[in-house]
Amino acid sequence: MTAGHRFDAIVIGGGHNGLVNAAYLAMAGKRVVVLEKRHVLGGAAVTEEIYPGFKYCVCSYVVSLLRPEIIRDLDLPRHGLEILPLESTLTPLPDGDHLVRWADHDQTRRELYRHSPRDAEAYDDFGKLMYQLAVAVKPILAMVPPDPTSLSPKDLLGFARLARHFRGLGEEQFHALFKLMTMSAADYLDEWFETEPLKATMSASGIIGTFLGPRSPGTAYVLLHHYLGEIDGAMRAWGFARGGTGAVSESIASAARRFGADIRTEAGVAQVIVKNGKAVGVALENGDEFRAPVVVSALDPKRTFLQMVEPKDLPDDFVDAIRRFKIRGSSGKVNLALSELPDFTCLPGVGPHLRGAISISPSVDYLERAYDDAKYGAFSRRPYMDIIIPSMIDPGMAPPGKHVMSIFVQYAPSDLDGGWDETKREAFGDAVIDTLAEYAPNLPGAILHRQVLTPWDIEREMGLTQGNIFHGELTLQQLFCMRPTVGWADFTTPVRNYYQCGSGTHPGGGITGASGRLAALKILGGRPR
Amino acid sequence: MTGPYDAIVIGAGHNGLVTAAYLGRAGLKVLVLERREVIGGAAVTEQVFPGFKFDTAAHRIGALHPAVVRDLDLKRHGLEVVHADPTVFAPASDGRHLLLWRDPKRTVEALREMSPADAEAWIPFSELIGKAAAVLRAAWSATPPEVTGNDPRDLWSVVKLGVGLRRLGKRDMVEVMRILPMAVSELLGDWFESDVLKGTLAAAGIAGMFQGPMAAGTVYAFLHHHVGAGGGVLRPTARVRGGVGELTRALAVAARGHGVDIRTSQPVERVIVKDGRATGVVLSSGEEVAAARVVSNADPRRTFFDLVGPTELDPEFVRKVTNIRFKGVCAKVHLVLGELPRFSGVPEAGPHLNGVISISPSLEYLERAYDDAKYGAASRRPYLEVSIPSVTDPDVAESGKHVMSIVAQYAPYRLKEGEWDAAARERLGDAVVGTLSEYAPNLESAILHRHVLTPLDLEETYGLSEGNIYHGEHTLDQLFFMRPVPGSARYRTPIEGLYLCGAGTHPGGGVTGFPGYNAAREILRDGKG
Repeated sequence: MTAGHRFDAIVIGGGHNGLVNAAYLAMAGKRVVVLEKRHVLGGAAVTEEIYPGFKYCVCSYVVSLLRPEIIRDLDLPRHGLEILPLESTLTPLPDGDHLVRWADHDQTRRELYRHSPRDAEAYDDFGKLMYQLAVAVKPILAMVPPDPTSLSPKDLLGFARLARHFRGLGEEQFHALFKLMTMSAADYLDEWFETEPLKATMSASGIIGTFLGPRSPGTAYVLLHHYLGEIDGAMRAWGFARGGTGAVSESIASAARRFGADIRTEAGVAQVIVKNGKAVGVALENGDEFRAPVVVSALDPKRTFLQMVEPKDLPDDFVDAIRRFKIRGSSGKVNLALSELPDFTCLPGVGPHLRGAISISPSVDYLERAYDDAKYGAFSRRPYMDIIIPSMIDPGMAPPGKHVMSIFVQYAPSDLDGGWDETKREAFGDAVIDTLAEYAPNLPGAILHRQVLTPWDIEREMGLTQGNIFHGELTLQQLFCMRPTVGWADFTTPVRNYYQCGSGTHPGGGITGASGRLAALKILGGRPR
Repeated sequence: MTGPYDAIVIGAGHNGLVTAAYLGRAGLKVLVLERREVIGGAAVTEQVFPGFKFDTAAHRIGALHPAVVRDLDLKRHGLEVVHADPTVFAPASDGRHLLLWRDPKRTVEALREMSPADAEAWIPFSELIGKAAAVLRAAWSATPPEVTGNDPRDLWSVVKLGVGLRRLGKRDMVEVMRILPMAVSELLGDWFESDVLKGTLAAAGIAGMFQGPMAAGTVYAFLHHHVGAGGGVLRPTARVRGGVGELTRALAVAARGHGVDIRTSQPVERVIVKDGRATGVVLSSGEEVAAARVVSNADPRRTFFDLVGPTELDPEFVRKVTNIRFKGVCAKVHLVLGELPRFSGVPEAGPHLNGVISISPSLEYLERAYDDAKYGAASRRPYLEVSIPSVTDPDVAESGKHVMSIVAQYAPYRLKEGEWDAAARERLGDAVVGTLSEYAPNLESAILHRHVLTPLDLEETYGLSEGNIYHGEHTLDQLFFMRPVPGSARYRTPIEGLYLCGAGTHPGGGVTGFPGYNAAREILRDGKG
């Protein structure tokens, strides 16, 4: 082993959380190396030219929750990060009508009024409450979760702080938050609204990445996410990164490099080297070894603990807990290169609606039926889809006059009956295009190239176990001090000097960078145990 | 105007009688007013057909509060609880069957034939459930705390719960916290492989719920039915000798012994509220009865909207009551049988008919039954919980004949097409009998009489809003300090002198007496005034 292989810290995985983690460690003066298995950085936050001239946001496609302190600390705009706003959300309806929510408040109000005056009124009150609750939740997302089984002063203090925080909310807000945490998105929205496509489109954010239908309890709290993006002021609700989501990863990588981080691609890690219960380095798939007193995994908990280290280096209880950690994939992705724009029957022609999100979610029943297929082991025949046309927002994504379309699709169960294969993947792609063609009939004829990713592909290509985009389901029993499991939610692991910083840790999921940052702070602040 | 009484209890359901008896025992002059000609509410035994006694609503009891049995001397007044053994017989789809016994070792033996792995898992699983149920049991006895309040008693009850949880030891504490918000299908999937075992246990998690077993939160519902069940007994089946009406009869005897006046056929028209204080009631006969306090055993919707009236209440409180979800899903079918059902594989009479017969061959079976209801139709193949009390208690039927009581689920209160008229009622009866006949082919020809209660019938006969047998769904957002509505979970209401004591309050439904017991304690705590 050469001296070039010795570092202060090794980060496994060059996804956005791994890069954020490395950047913060490097900023603190550590000599860091990031080891990425693929030829590109970004993990699930990548832009790739899969078809010549057309740039696909292969997996993740929008940005909203990227922590403003990360943007600030790493000075990401200087490293090329530019977030462009998504103007609207269009929900086309089967009867030829539509519902659009615009960035402009009055325009949205008029549109909602057209469907239901009552809902137009309620929408503002709902927004206010969500805003307040988002403010209430924000500090929790930014803390290292305490351990409820520990009696150490640090953990007890953590819970005391949490209790004080909740008491400080006052009764009304506390109860509203409790309802949001425990209810189904559909029930929660039923208390506020009557317009089906509005309830369906809003509840869809509660099912993204989760193997539950909108009527299952536990799906309501994700409604908050939308508003969390808003309070930070960095961007309003959802945005699109110029150059695609990969540009987010690139800007973080660029910042990390500026602080001296060494970032290597095509450097797949085979194993963490553990000596006397302590992580001392990693072995690459090509046989190379790297040494460092700190090893950080940005992989999901299954890979972090069941692949990177030997079960014998972990307590049995812990291994059981990680095995039981739910990580079922529920979604797929279809990326298209288009010769022309889709022409929606409900809003014909080119218009500002094509610069926003397009949601195929006409009713809560529609989403439930999509879920029904999946819960019995099939992909949805008529899936829920969340679509953007990146080339409408950033013309650089496709050749002039041509377009790229990014389609997030749910449900596609990772444990499809009989397993996934090429034929089923294409059948899944067909179901997506056929469903979409009902709303935009010209679409099939406009397709130049199609990329279909099922959970099977996402696992094989991106290394996300079972294709779960959040590194583990965002259900109540897998959040906060239970993510990934109780006692190990503070980014440490049972192996000394081995840390975790991926979305499988608190607060988890989405391009937030929060896990990577909190883990770095833990590593830098924590004394060696 | 008659009276004045120290307290009027509206409704002679089991909780109303418990509260009345305790108030009488404390020296208060109490009047109980029952709308029907019989006492008992949903804990009632009626001769639907002369000579045949049916438990027409609840046909099983939960864990009766031991203090109630002791303090009110119910055994001396004739209460005899019969713990069926085996508790459950469940035919599988392949002709085999499952028997769950009160002795866990016997269950393990019975399971071994079906799945050795499940037999191994039985005892550890039932121990875990026993521990989780013990934690809940402690919470059941407590008045829910005002989370943002400053009462040291509240803080103490929260601390006590925390201590109870910690006493489990780290491993079990973590597991109990983890499983509480889960879907019962996931929990059972972690432990067992046999379809009929998973389906039959999961049935306890969906009983009375407008949710399928794959919905999050159903583990709580499952645990609710295991509070007080005792070591190793899952899906306990307890009945009252002579019918559940014998329990309410014994309660009435006890109450009268403490000077309580109980009048039947006395529907209350409304609660008299003067200057924000309840001062008595008006009967539908026009008679007014004055009292220092009024206690309602009716569900919260009936209490606040029918008996009090929204005009007496703060609009925000009205909104909360409006938002309580009832969504009844149960129907009852009562059959007089000329002979016992002969189940395929076990055609002869035997101990398998002692407990309940559960038609729950798999998780998927239950989930599909739910799917029908989710879209507004009654299950074509419903989940059935069948009880033949005459097997162990011959006095309830004419000699040689039998009574069969069936809880059928899902029969949604709101139908998408049509309504619960006579034809729909008969179709429901046919679906129930048809489903059971698939397992016991002689059933149809054995039926001498049939009586069907739809959710609408349950509402009209027993005063259960939307036919919900629990006075409000048992979902996490409607339990504990959220029951019946957040901010009023302590048996008191915004109307001074008006209390609630029914299943719509903590800890909820089932024949347990806990709500009535807790309510009496709080009323007495407020002073005899």
